[in-house]
Amino acid sequence: MTGTPTSVTTSDRSRRRADRGTLWGLFALPGTVWLLVLFVLPFYALVCVAFGDIDPVFRNAVPAWNPLNWSFGNAGEVLGEIFGGSLRKVFLRTISYVVCAVVLSFLVGYPVAYYLARHAGRWRGLLLALMILPFWVNYLMRMLAWVNLLQVDGWVTRAFSVFGVQVNWLDGQPITVVLGLVYGYVPFLVLPLYAALERLDGRLLEAARDLGAGPGRTFHLVTIPLSRPGMLGAGVIIALPMFGDYYTNDMLSRSPATEMVGNQVDFYLNATTQPQKGAVLVLVLSALLVVLMSYYLVSTMRMQREIRA
Amino acid sequence: MKNRRSEHRHPTTSASRAPVSRRQFLGGSAVAAGGLVLGPSILAACGSDGGSGTALKLARPDKPVTLPTVGDAVAAGKAHEGGTLQILNYVDYLNPDVVARFEETYGVKTAVTTYDTEEGALNKLRSGAFTPDLIIGMTDSVLSRLVAAELLQPLNHSYLSNFGNVIEGLRDPYYDVGAQYTTPYIIYSTGIGYRTDMDVDTSYFESGNGWDILWDSAYSGRLGILDSYRDVIGSVLHRNGEDINTGDQKVLNAALEDLREMSAATNPKIDILAYTEVPAGTRVVNQCWSGDMLLGVWYLPEDASWTELGYWQPDDMVTGNDVFCVARNAERPVLAHEFINFFLDVDNALENFGWTGYQPALEALDAQTLIDWEYVPANLANALITPAQYAKGNRAVALEPDVDARWTDVWAKFTAG
Repeated sequence: MTGTPTSVTTSDRSRRRADRGTLWGLFALPGTVWLLVLFVLPFYALVCVAFGDIDPVFRNAVPAWNPLNWSFGNAGEVLGEIFGGSLRKVFLRTISYVVCAVVLSFLVGYPVAYYLARHAGRWRGLLLALMILPFWVNYLMRMLAWVNLLQVDGWVTRAFSVFGVQVNWLDGQPITVVLGLVYGYVPFLVLPLYAALERLDGRLLEAARDLGAGPGRTFHLVTIPLSRPGMLGAGVIIALPMFGDYYTNDMLSRSPATEMVGNQVDFYLNATTQPQKGAVLVLVLSALLVVLMSYYLVSTMRMQREIRA
Repeated sequence: MKNRRSEHRHPTTSASRAPVSRRQFLGGSAVAAGGLVLGPSILAACGSDGGSGTALKLARPDKPVTLPTVGDAVAAGKAHEGGTLQILNYVDYLNPDVVARFEETYGVKTAVTTYDTEEGALNKLRSGAFTPDLIIGMTDSVLSRLVAAELLQPLNHSYLSNFGNVIEGLRDPYYDVGAQYTTPYIIYSTGIGYRTDMDVDTSYFESGNGWDILWDSAYSGRLGILDSYRDVIGSVLHRNGEDINTGDQKVLNAALEDLREMSAATNPKIDILAYTEVPAGTRVVNQCWSGDMLLGVWYLPEDASWTELGYWQPDDMVTGNDVFCVARNAERPVLAHEFINFFLDVDNALENFGWTGYQPALEALDAQTLIDWEYVPANLANALITPAQYAKGNRAVALEPDVDARWTDVWAKFTAG
């Protein structure tokens, strides 16, 4: 009899723990449903379009819902173009633009985020609000503002001409597209970076100083390594949409010299009767981004393990 | 112009006498561009109800097509239904003043829903999500598909007393023999707009093959071409003396090489902004539609002269037209007929032209009349199409799906750089 109350208590505890587990699990339900309805199903539809056919009369996509009916002809054609045809240039160009834009974004965004997190003092709130201000204006409108500034009689062009530099910025210039991407996405980089830098343990920085490290060495040996997870996250946040971006290029260039993957996807999906090829391109792009995301996840987990150790 | 609509996004053709600013215009275009997100396309694709069997017979000028009769036309002699006429149209493709006068005359209202591409409109109509009374702006590219999908009803010509105003070549068009389902709205051609005051070598145009100017590196950075694979590849084929509707892969490959040469020589901008960029002077040469230069005069700086714009088109020009048609399940078919008839009236069409810049397909509104009445400056007489020119012009017709795929692949390879 003496053992009974103990066993009842253990059983109650396990039940309560299980109930609590179910309760917390329910919290994930909306997100799971959301993911299923708005990601998994559309993604499956995309796959079915990519491996489907077109209606001979109405010329819209006929998705092959049954995987047994999938046809890989279009995928083969697109992959052939990527590895040995015109799309190879487009992919390489897109990757190089995104890499340049992400690096430039860090060069611009990191000092800003660092200042906001560590030195802005009482101005922090105001400066953060100013950082968020661009979000109030639609991305396309912000790009259009640049179109006006960069056109032949625009202020930027005129300012350069004062120094004898004549540049037709909107004439299919890669630098214009890259700077457009930087301008458009840099606020998305600053905010997560700010959050990461703001959480840095000040005592670690003080310890570095106490041990004789100057500001430069402290920044190099303590701040940068500790902010690396934030940097990775921020980099991924801006790199992913940049890979699929097409409207920045559409507005600031629209020249074959700067064509990006997103432009080809846009063309095939919206302006042709070959949406399957557009869908295949989206899948290839997704595969590329999965590699990027995997690197991010593996790196983050490794860093967490190192911190715990 | 046909292909601007059939294959790509439609421009905001705000052509009021007080033109919208460059910024306003670009804003409109960009929003339209931004609206072309990937999701709806995929979802639209998934809305398909499966295959529809065999391919349609496509109309050719030398092989006219009588479209199958689907349902009956509305009975003659009925009074219009009143209420609100639902119109599916491109944005800014009707003069609001003329529409207001129609509303006043008939004591009704109109509501316009817009579309960007013919393919998009076709999907919207097929989904059944929206049933307009009247559809404006379609071309022969999708006409047979609209009929096959039973989305149009035959017209009752007893309501169209002004149909006789239509130019002769379009009263019995090859794409709709007997004008069973359509009446023409506007006509246009594809050519080259240029600045007459900026040292453009007009000897290209005098030689008869003005397309060559698109390969002249002297205009690098100041030259544009249409964002329309049908028009651009068609022009290259025309330059090379080939059939502008060819499906021959070798001929298309040669056109691709020519396009790459053009790109290397002139780094062309690809868009549909000739009507703002040429007047602004940022481009001195631009492949465009005839209406672009007619519209462009309203975008010239205030101190500029209309004579600063020029337009060239080949003698055997590439022409096309947009149409009016009535939806199969229209709730107000009689009112839709009245609307069409109203816009086939010469005075109303003229006023509409003054705002949209697109030439009505009416016999009375010939080139000389439009110049005499100062709707068009004499230096742009080339941008007007006479009935005789229309009759002998080339047509960029609907392509078979496999041929269309070859064309879009060529375009994708060209734009890949």
